Amino acid sequence: MATNGMPTASAATVTPPVDTFQPLIIALCCNWCSYAGADLAGVSRIQYPPSIRMIRVMCSGMVHPNLVIEALTKGADGVLMCGCHPGDCHYQEGNLKAEKRAEAIKLMLADFGIEEERFRLEWVSAAEGPRFAQVVREFTEQIQKLGPSPYRQ
Amino acid sequence: MAARLAEEWFAICGGCEVTILDIGEPLIDVLKKVEIVHMPVIMDHKLFGQTGENKEMEIPAADVGLISGGIRSEEHKKLAQEMRKKCKILISLGSCACFGGIPALNNLYTTEELLQKVYRDSVSTESNGIPHEEIPALTDRVYAVHEVVKVDAYLPGCPTTPEMVAGALISILEGKPLPALPSKSVCDECPTKREKKAVSTLKRRFESPEYTPGAPLSEMRCLMEQGFLCLGPATRAGCSGSDGTPRCIRAYMPCEGCFGPLSEKANPMVDMMGALSSIGLDPKQIPDRAATFNRFAGAGRLRPTPKR
Repeated sequence: MATNGMPTASAATVTPPVDTFQPLIIALCCNWCSYAGADLAGVSRIQYPPSIRMIRVMCSGMVHPNLVIEALTKGADGVLMCGCHPGDCHYQEGNLKAEKRAEAIKLMLADFGIEEERFRLEWVSAAEGPRFAQVVREFTEQIQKLGPSPYRQ
Repeated sequence: MAARLAEEWFAICGGCEVTILDIGEPLIDVLKKVEIVHMPVIMDHKLFGQTGENKEMEIPAADVGLISGGIRSEEHKKLAQEMRKKCKILISLGSCACFGGIPALNNLYTTEELLQKVYRDSVSTESNGIPHEEIPALTDRVYAVHEVVKVDAYLPGCPTTPEMVAGALISILEGKPLPALPSKSVCDECPTKREKKAVSTLKRRFESPEYTPGAPLSEMRCLMEQGFLCLGPATRAGCSGSDGTPRCIRAYMPCEGCFGPLSEKANPMVDMMGALSSIGLDPKQIPDRAATFNRFAGAGRLRPTPKR
């Protein structure tokens, strides 16, 4: 892997032991910032755990709470929602809408018996490849600590 | 030949039976073509025979069966099955039969918690224990009728509208297919002005919305944007009937959601929390969100909060 001289994260953080729980995380990334950020992480060959399944959306502001709740009640262990930094939104204020909805989502997770920590909203710009990898690493570790989702059979 | 009609009521207030009466003059024509064979609310037809001589509950065969009310006890369950057996067409009348209705709010608690609260813990109760002899046992939760037996048509609403009941009965009498429920939401039929941004913080129900008396409703600002918990976005249309304007909006009141969710799988709480936070209202201020947004749709949706 690391034979082309590109920087890689240390092996310890990248390859978890085989017997640790491998969570399934749905990452909803906005087209303009976060998806490009993830792309940058990829082309820069920054390594992060293979736990996420990425879904590209046009804006974090188009992610309705029912999408997040549905993912979590149908087997996902965590949902990561990424958007542009406040003020950077391609659609002016879609990310602020997402922030408001995130509050509602967190409240509802308790009603469904899901830990609040299984959902996270992060701002990742198109220039922040390393940050995207860092966010995924942190979030994966957090979900690993929580264990599998109560809805996962 | 007159069509035979059977009606049975379960966990319900009786308001939907009043709606049948509310049909008004068209009811006279309908009644000429209908023979009511079983209807506990207006006639003395006993389930075990008039002198109690039978061992099994029996309902006479009928062409049309109406069931109002959700299923709360084993007796209701048996009766629903008997109705299904004896009626060619079975109709859920009202939101309690369609989605559990108000009684299904109890699905937020277990049956044990319910009995404990009502017969022991309630401050005003002089406890004589929980009754258990010679009464049917309660089911584990409130069920909508279609969760127990197959239902051919739904007439939701709390109470349902006379227009819908008359429409359904007339269609059956004329041998036409039953009218389908609209797939639109109440907002799609609502005439008020919308700008997708709240102009106020959340308001309580008893506060008055801003409107000009006498002016048409199209000049009033959307009630949700005025800060009221209006369930329009997550509620099926149909209450407006030939008037074209939703019932509660006509009276300057926010929609309560009595026509039930937009689809069988929809969760009105999630939809409403999304809708309210999207226009900038603070979701933390909403009192008792699960019950508020599932007020009429508790069967199959509300359940005791999982203990962590």
